[in-house]
Amino acid sequence: MNFEAIIGLEIHVQMKTKSKMFSSSPNSFSREPNTEVTPFDMAYPGTMPRVNKQAVINAIRVANALHMTIDHTLYFDRKNYFYSDLPKGFQITQQRRPIGSNGYVDILDKDGNVKRIRIERIHMEEDTCKQLHLSDCSLLDYNRAGTPLVEIVSLPDIRSGTEAMHYVEAIRNIVVYSLTSDGKMEEGSLRCDVNVSLRPFGQEAFGTKVEIKNLNSIKNIEQALDYEIARQSACLLTGTPVQQETRRFDEASGKTVLMRVKTDAVDYKYFCEPNIAPIALSDEFVQNAIDTCPELYDAKKARYLKAGLSDTDASIILSDLSMALYFEKALAGAKSAKTVANFLIVEVNSYLNKNGIGIASFPMEAETLKDICNLQEDGFTHKQAMQVFSYVLEHGGSAEEARKALKLEKQSNDEGAVLSFVTQVLDANPQSIADFKAGKDRAIGFLVGQVMKLSKGKVNPAAVSKTLQEEIKKR
Amino acid sequence: MKEITMDVLKDAAHRLLFTMSEKEYETLLEEFGILARQMEKIGEIQGLESYEPMTFPFPCENSFLREDVPSAPLNRDEALANAGSKEDGQIKLPKVVG
Repeated sequence: MNFEAIIGLEIHVQMKTKSKMFSSSPNSFSREPNTEVTPFDMAYPGTMPRVNKQAVINAIRVANALHMTIDHTLYFDRKNYFYSDLPKGFQITQQRRPIGSNGYVDILDKDGNVKRIRIERIHMEEDTCKQLHLSDCSLLDYNRAGTPLVEIVSLPDIRSGTEAMHYVEAIRNIVVYSLTSDGKMEEGSLRCDVNVSLRPFGQEAFGTKVEIKNLNSIKNIEQALDYEIARQSACLLTGTPVQQETRRFDEASGKTVLMRVKTDAVDYKYFCEPNIAPIALSDEFVQNAIDTCPELYDAKKARYLKAGLSDTDASIILSDLSMALYFEKALAGAKSAKTVANFLIVEVNSYLNKNGIGIASFPMEAETLKDICNLQEDGFTHKQAMQVFSYVLEHGGSAEEARKALKLEKQSNDEGAVLSFVTQVLDANPQSIADFKAGKDRAIGFLVGQVMKLSKGKVNPAAVSKTLQEEIKKR
Repeated sequence: MKEITMDVLKDAAHRLLFTMSEKEYETLLEEFGILARQMEKIGEIQGLESYEPMTFPFPCENSFLREDVPSAPLNRDEALANAGSKEDGQIKLPKVVG
């Protein structure tokens, strides 16, 4: 029997604001534990929450990108539970009135067709403190307590691991390009909880749901779901009921592992946060947050494709926000977007990989890279442009200074000049002409080399090759 | 409503990782009894579900949002001053997961 997988995702995104969600404590992911805390973050009595304006702006931008209805009044609630990661004994969240509701995002399904995934809600809340569990004790670091989060909850519209992966990619692109978050799953700034159940095709009712936690890469989401779907199928086929439980993905074995069996749903005793009176957002405020949102991934991609980039090249550049921003700086005044993209993807990436650095540490200004690319568009060969590229990386300075230092001259396409060199070389090499006519194609390479030598590399080899073949035919 | 018994209290204390003396349990049980009787009285009132929560009984909307400007945090010694046990600049607890 075949089963249909029903998958829904909850994604927590840490916002990269300068201060925390409800306190003015710095929010800079400091490495030194307990150095970014205020009395509010540690839940001292008498401290009061004050809502971060930028966090609200970010949430509005994400809600808008996800085509959601935006609530123009902010309400907050308390989610009550007792655990050592939660200093106040409750988390301030938006249970009853999420800032965004009823949205969607379009993704590609496994056949490459556009599929719409509905999003139930997004809401703002605060992160918990970080716990380090050692063999004999647990250590608490409050730096993360109060970090602004936006939680994005999908409806169970996803049907496979691949779709789930594409969904998370789409969400990540939105939060990264709206500058809401750095979206790094491996560092915990984008965290996914996945709910998955199976039902026979054609059945209306959902099966028993299993939650998978702590998926720290996009690839793991697909792997964990593929495994879990196979595991649940095997259970159902052998008549073993699927248990309602929480599992985690074990990267080493590629399997999901039982964490705990869920009994009754936990009752969080939600109630209205009395210390934050409802906050009215004016239409102007909401519209301004939307209008000033940085250009998003999809818009950038459409623009790159229009400028002549292939889908693959555009995706490679956009896979890294810093790379995309560098590309755009180089694009201003560039004669060919494609040449800039090629240089960035091949030459610059190779330099970055070799030196183990990111684009932010790349020692060449984007404008210099643009000038080097323009040399190529102005008649210099790629080989010459590469010489300039290497020279600038080694010695610094501008493209023009490097070109002069290397004494590089533009190659000529001038038909008269090319023909003159070609005629001289053919006259001096009758044997090569005979060889070429006898079918030895290699002879043309030799003749091109002779012309390049005679012209001191000043003529374009492509033009030389073409003219040589035309002239040989005449002889 | 779930009846609060000594067993329920002891189970809750165990789950919340603390212990109390027998006398403290007895006091707490008595107080829960009073609370439960008060809740029962409220429960007798008909039609409560048609009322909105009284958290904000009067219109009190505002438009205040704090600018995203960080201020100086506590220094670490101050932040950890009340911790009973510390290690590597962090608060040390008995292990909370198995």
